[in-house]
Amino acid sequence: MTHAPARFRSLLSGLALGAALLGGVSACSESSADTTPASATAAGVKEINVTIAAKSVTPPPGRIDVTKGQTVRITVTSDVADEAHVHGYDKGVSLQPGTPATIEFVADQDGLFEVETHESDLQLFQLAVR
Amino acid sequence: MLLAHGVGGRQDLPIPFSAALAGAIIALLVSFAALGVLWTDPRLGGALARVRPWSGLFQRAVSSDAWAWTWRIVGLVVAAYFCVGLVFGPDDVDNPTAGVFYVLFWVGLVPLSLLLGPVWRALNPLRTLHLLAARALRRDPDAGLRPLPDGLGYWPAAAGLFAFVWLELVAPDRATLPVIGIWLAAYAVIMLVGAVVFGARWFDRADAFEAYSDLIGRLSPVVRREDGRVAWRNSLDGMSGLRPAPGLPVLVVVLLGSTMYDSLSGAPVWVRFVQNNPLPAPVVGTAGLLVVIGLVLAAFLGATTLAAGRGATEPRVMAGELAHSIVPIAVGYLIAHYYTLFLLEGQRTIALLSDPLVSGADWLGTAGWTVGGLGNTPAGIAMLQVTVIIIGHVLGTVLAHDRALALLPRRAAVTGQIPLLVLMVLYTVMGLLLLFAA
Repeated sequence: MTHAPARFRSLLSGLALGAALLGGVSACSESSADTTPASATAAGVKEINVTIAAKSVTPPPGRIDVTKGQTVRITVTSDVADEAHVHGYDKGVSLQPGTPATIEFVADQDGLFEVETHESDLQLFQLAVR
Repeated sequence: MLLAHGVGGRQDLPIPFSAALAGAIIALLVSFAALGVLWTDPRLGGALARVRPWSGLFQRAVSSDAWAWTWRIVGLVVAAYFCVGLVFGPDDVDNPTAGVFYVLFWVGLVPLSLLLGPVWRALNPLRTLHLLAARALRRDPDAGLRPLPDGLGYWPAAAGLFAFVWLELVAPDRATLPVIGIWLAAYAVIMLVGAVVFGARWFDRADAFEAYSDLIGRLSPVVRREDGRVAWRNSLDGMSGLRPAPGLPVLVVVLLGSTMYDSLSGAPVWVRFVQNNPLPAPVVGTAGLLVVIGLVLAAFLGATTLAAGRGATEPRVMAGELAHSIVPIAVGYLIAHYYTLFLLEGQRTIALLSDPLVSGADWLGTAGWTVGGLGNTPAGIAMLQVTVIIIGHVLGTVLAHDRALALLPRRAAVTGQIPLLVLMVLYTVMGLLLLFAA
């Protein structure tokens, strides 16, 4: 059973959650935009693309700002079969090797939410909704 | 790295981060200066005999045997209910066990102890089991096979607290039932065997959760006096009553340092470091936890050693005498850090708790609860976090000042505290940075 630990880790990073509820987003994601996942806003949709190869996440994990109410479209490409999961929103998608998979939802709760894989237990990024 | 990380980027706070930081430091400096001028004699930690006990019916109720047994039975029933999910429930996200253990129990003990004192001592099911076994065998529960060595102090509790925070923050698969079950089984065996060997006093000094609840409970406005009567008291007197013992500084530093590590571990910079590290994540996490606790301890021992140098006090004595001043800081930080977790996951756990076997049951009638913010706004939570951290550090400064007056020669009493003031400022800055910038 791999769901529980992943869920709980995010839960216990309650600090992060607290920081997010404050609307906190690290200066890091602002000062190093080139290291945050590629994202583009098109017609109000936040596009986020992440690739996982040999247990390495590209771009490296960071925080991504989203406006409350905005639609978020996350596309994950993994080199192994896995499952991607957005905590808090409890949205998930199963990943097939080499095939991009998409999670799309409206970010209607504010806070900081971790996006992770379950089998490889990697954090892909943190979604800061304000 | 961390210092460069957050300052200046906090426009989204209701007040700018630099203002929160400056406000906190000013609060410390002003209270330090005011204390130096106005608070010139040690006045805390006086005999509790002076405090006025409650009167009448209330006093008789809380002093009765039935009162003590009520809470012992509540502790046993709650523990038994918890074990239903732990032992018989499925190991999945809808099992309440992890939420009960890490959120309702561990975090929930903070507000309960702050209001009511060392509540876990009254509820602890292991203490009750030991008491019942001793009664059945017609033995004195306080008498073990051998006396508890004085030199042991709080070291067993400090080790137990470290074992818990390691489980909570680092252990692989820490929210799964086998991991929680094995940890709790080992803890229960060590507690019960220790109680058989050393008597019930073992729980006072070795049970990490009793020690945790007792440390926080010293800030409670109510106290049970030596004579068993319950009274109102000044929280600062309660905190000041925590006397030095071996292992006490490490115990309080583990409490503060582990919460700081928890903040750090949520920061993207730390996540990247762990995921890009060739070493397994639990190894890096263990090292990180030890390093953060080690730095907090080094800062504390450094400051207390410098302060001791101003008087004729041994550094070890000074560290033990000032350990109590760390507790309100740790409590402020625990509240700031876990408030939203307790609010949101606490509600979710209570909903799950109604169906510990995940069979669709609704034993408590709470299964339908939905998680809500209960009127909390991001700005309100931010203000609360800054406020409790500042209050914690100011209380720590007051406690340290009062103790320094008693320990240091009069002419060095204020200047001797400068290292302690620097320590408080350092902890405040680190605490706020980790909370808001990490």
